[in-house]
Amino acid sequence: MNHRERVLKALNFEEPDRVPVFENGIDTPLMEKITGDSFPYAVSRQSPVITDRNHESKRVDLRLKCWRRIGFDLFPIDLSTPDGWKPRMTPEGDMVDLWGRIMKLDKMTRAWIPYSTVFTDPDDYEEFEFPDPLTSGWTYALEYAKKNLDGEMALASSLRDPFAHAWEMFTPMKFVLWMYREPNFIKKVIEDIADFNIGIIKRVAEVGVDLIISSGDYCDAKGPMVPISFFRNTIFPNLRRQVDAAHKYGVKYIKHTDGNINSLLPDLVDIVDGCHSLDPSAGVDIGSVKKKYGDRLVLMGNISVDNLAMKGRADIVDEVKRCIRDASPGGGHILSSSNSWAAGAKLENCLAMVEAGKTFGVYPIKMK
Amino acid sequence: MPKNLRELILGFADINEIKDFIDNELRSNKNPQLIVDELSQTLREVGDKYEKGELILSELMMIGYLASEVASALKPHLSGIGRRSRGKIIMGTVRGDIHDVGKNIVVMMLQADGWEVIDLGVDVPPEKFVEAIAKEKPMILGLSALLSSTLGEMRNVIEHLERNGLRDKVKVIVGGRPITRMIAKEMGADGSAEDSVAAIRVVREMAGQGRAT
Repeated sequence: MNHRERVLKALNFEEPDRVPVFENGIDTPLMEKITGDSFPYAVSRQSPVITDRNHESKRVDLRLKCWRRIGFDLFPIDLSTPDGWKPRMTPEGDMVDLWGRIMKLDKMTRAWIPYSTVFTDPDDYEEFEFPDPLTSGWTYALEYAKKNLDGEMALASSLRDPFAHAWEMFTPMKFVLWMYREPNFIKKVIEDIADFNIGIIKRVAEVGVDLIISSGDYCDAKGPMVPISFFRNTIFPNLRRQVDAAHKYGVKYIKHTDGNINSLLPDLVDIVDGCHSLDPSAGVDIGSVKKKYGDRLVLMGNISVDNLAMKGRADIVDEVKRCIRDASPGGGHILSSSNSWAAGAKLENCLAMVEAGKTFGVYPIKMK
Repeated sequence: MPKNLRELILGFADINEIKDFIDNELRSNKNPQLIVDELSQTLREVGDKYEKGELILSELMMIGYLASEVASALKPHLSGIGRRSRGKIIMGTVRGDIHDVGKNIVVMMLQADGWEVIDLGVDVPPEKFVEAIAKEKPMILGLSALLSSTLGEMRNVIEHLERNGLRDKVKVIVGGRPITRMIAKEMGADGSAEDSVAAIRVVREMAGQGRAT
């Protein structure tokens, strides 16, 4: 059974030869450490920013080499910049991305991170030049990865969730203010971004991805960041439209979100195919989720990123064993951390996670 | 119809309605300090509700925004009665981390609670913290981080304070998602807060203990 077959079995709630293992992301400095290669170009988790196709190919090459060296089963890659787009730089050296987010460069991770916005009030949105999913170039990295993978690993397209997009486009404070003051405006923005995503879903499906992983958080450590009513009236109907679009092309749809998602799970289980992150630091217990929803929801995550950064190898191995014992029987489980491997994570812990996953995740699961 | 500041804020009233309410109160010769006290009491209630899970993040942010607007509206009236701030606080997200949602909520809530807050922003190098503390002589320094990878940088700031003879002049509170009491103690901080509401509580407790000597 190759890497891809293993993932496809798990996604279909069947038991493969062993539990698939993957990471949704690894910060550049850690990938350099793993591969020995250097990648001097800044990236972003929120938005495509690399315009030089040679650099973009190198980004995929580094990631592929890293994923192969670790022996992951699933390869996620995000969108590329559309052809012809150039970022606007501010006098302070910050970047304005495709969505009007003003981004600062985090020197430690070499990643652009949103912190401000070009939108001062809702009227600015009328003047905003909305990205077009039909423009060529968005799937450059995916096509490049697909060609290089040739079915070796399952291929996932990372796609930013409309709520997270809007939250960052306007900055969290303005989003919250306008959500309460001008709910119809925020609803329209989320619908517009969902329309864009549906256009992109068609494009990535044509490339031949196996699944989509929707990035962007819904929750903080205490629970949903916005009212449940807003989820049910605005976020979830648009999430469902995207999932339906993916299913039309036979592509699975996984929702990533950090935080305490327990109160959202009863809704999510009826919309998406799986959930990623399952953040244990926020009180998400993968065993409980498996018992309640494990026959309908593929589970990915739950190895604490805080523990990867701060604890020791033995703790990580115990955590992996617990996850496998509680979530792997019957399939529908893909082992990963509860977010990604950050630059500050201990590499020996990350590698211990993978090694333990491959050792203790062999089916049939024997741990009680 | 809401009759007091608490109800207006918790009901997310329009900011102009809240300002009109304050103007009316002041016109009827209400001591502005009593309005500040009411605001402070409301924030305590909000903090308790958030910690109990009765309020969510967007509600906390909205209340923080309204409360900081009220504090700004009251500021000119307070100077006339000789009311001073509760104390000065310097805040910043440490070098290597540019997340500021949590820090900004803390800044808004502290300002509304009557503190003078100097916000150094994000990705702040230790030298900038040292310079600001030497110049402003705050009661409290608040260091924020979201990423586990920047915990070392918090420690680095505290070491810079020690090297520059400033450590015993200021109380240091570290806050953010990866912070636990044990981590805070290990890095030599005086207090810790895992979220914005806890930060307000710790600042109040620390102020109650008096300034570090």
